[in-house]
Amino acid sequence: MTEVALLGRRAVREVVRYPEATIPTLFIPLFFLVVNIGQVSRTFPSSTPFLKGQGYVAFQLPVSLMFAVATATTGLALVTEIDVGYFDKLLVAPIRRSSIIFGRLSADLVRGVAASALVLAVGIALGARVQSGVLGAVVIVLLSAAFGVAYAGFGILVALRTRNVQATQSSFLLFFPLLFLTPNFVPFNRLSPLMETLARINPVSYVIVGLRSLVIDGWSAGKIGVCIGVIAGMGLILTVLSLRAIATYDR
Amino acid sequence: MSETVTGMTSGRVVDRTDALAEVWGEDAGAAAIETRSLRRVFKDSIEAVSDIDLTVGMGEVFGFLGPNGAGKTTTVRMLCTLLPPTAGRAAVLGLDVIDDAAAVRRRIGVALQEIGLDPVQTGRELLELQCGLYGITGRRARARSDQLLELVGLVDAADRRTKTYSGGMKRRLDLASALVHSPDVLFLDEPTTGLDPASRLTIWEEVRRINAEGATIFLTTQYLEEADKLCDRVAIIDGGRIVAEGTPARLKAQMGHDVVSVSLDGADLAATEAALAGLPGLERVVAESEALALYLEDGARSIAEIVRRLEGERIRAGAISVARPSLDDVFLQATGRRLEGDEPPAGNEEVTR
Repeated sequence: MTEVALLGRRAVREVVRYPEATIPTLFIPLFFLVVNIGQVSRTFPSSTPFLKGQGYVAFQLPVSLMFAVATATTGLALVTEIDVGYFDKLLVAPIRRSSIIFGRLSADLVRGVAASALVLAVGIALGARVQSGVLGAVVIVLLSAAFGVAYAGFGILVALRTRNVQATQSSFLLFFPLLFLTPNFVPFNRLSPLMETLARINPVSYVIVGLRSLVIDGWSAGKIGVCIGVIAGMGLILTVLSLRAIATYDR
Repeated sequence: MSETVTGMTSGRVVDRTDALAEVWGEDAGAAAIETRSLRRVFKDSIEAVSDIDLTVGMGEVFGFLGPNGAGKTTTVRMLCTLLPPTAGRAAVLGLDVIDDAAAVRRRIGVALQEIGLDPVQTGRELLELQCGLYGITGRRARARSDQLLELVGLVDAADRRTKTYSGGMKRRLDLASALVHSPDVLFLDEPTTGLDPASRLTIWEEVRRINAEGATIFLTTQYLEEADKLCDRVAIIDGGRIVAEGTPARLKAQMGHDVVSVSLDGADLAATEAALAGLPGLERVVAESEALALYLEDGARSIAEIVRRLEGERIRAGAISVARPSLDDVFLQATGRRLEGDEPPAGNEEVTR
């Protein structure tokens, strides 16, 4: 546990000392939030049924939260560490290899909480009202951060498997199918049939739906439950794969 | 230094641990490092290390000498538990590098060729984290880090991020980070490659000091001088195989001859070689690009005869120099070529025609 804390602290230090790695990842969600709302606020006025009296910002906010936390930052930090040789230094130390992964993921949690709190605050400033209240807002931040932790597994996997900076950088491309083949702009039933099918298959859709329910509906146990289930499942699978990748690294 | 320590390392008493004897048979012992038929084949079926047998005694400074791509780093990575052998066995301090990898890691320090420094952290933070990974925390970690920073002369730079360090400073910090837990065996993979002479000397002093405190040191190098000055014993590796092994003094003594180098200076190689064939006491002639190396029993005495013969054949060769055998010559004899990038052996008596 000490090892995880030590490596986690170092990873957080890295986030704090390299703001240039984090700031661009915040630019996208905030940009989308402001621009999308500006563009469609007349198309979807607050009288639109699925907005339940709120502005479009409330509908878009969960998507921006996910944009803010789904990054390849951790994968890139790891592949850089492999590249400069520090990773070998860690492997040769008498620690569990899993600590290296968990240390990284703990920093993702910290960054995820900070990033989603910021985006949520901007959303509220732009007029979104969190129907589930203050507790709901806390849950939103925690769930998005947890999604960020789960998502980081993709980058970690690519980093460990390829050990290649470019490949790891390209892993952000996953972001597009996972976050755009979803009900990100309109609800499921307003999507074209093909898009609706794809969005319904995509587990990330249910994370968006869950977070959105906390903003627009209040407390909807079913949607939140599915959202937690998807994050946990995704996190579990990717973490197990990452642990296996690091255990068999050079074996 | 190497020659005085030599006698202590050979013929040491070996005691055995029973558990290991089962795996290792009669070879099990208290050697610091021991390998049997150690081999590593990479995916592209390149055999980087071929059936290496090594025994490094406790307290030795063991030099692993070879050119780039000879298999030095691959061997070190196997010994450090970073890379599993394809075949054969390796043990460090009597602990198998595969079966007891965790125990091996607790007792070895490693400074790899690729300096493993984290650019994000300051020198002090890096050392304190390193302490933590070896179970040294809190005040003890701070004290140990301070001590090591002092030792490697990085107190002033301690609170700067490592990315601002020079090459020599990085090496020293990397070395310090390998020492946090006072390892019994220290692996140094090309610790001075790319360093200026002053930084190289600093590292040498540090290696001697660490060794004097009892640590066994396994160091790889491309520099003959380094192996000669620093190491109690040396193994020369080439193409994944060990081609010579022994104390530097013994290896040189085995050569049993002087080396007279005749610089061609444009003279015809074949004609020169023919003219000098059958010199009294000549053991071997090695043609190099711009010179002929003659292995002779007594170099100094042969010079007159060499000059006479060349003049007799009207061959206008360049400088003639005599050298006592150096590790460079050992290397040349073992591998058939010189180690690139190394300085020419110093202290030649030169005779010019």
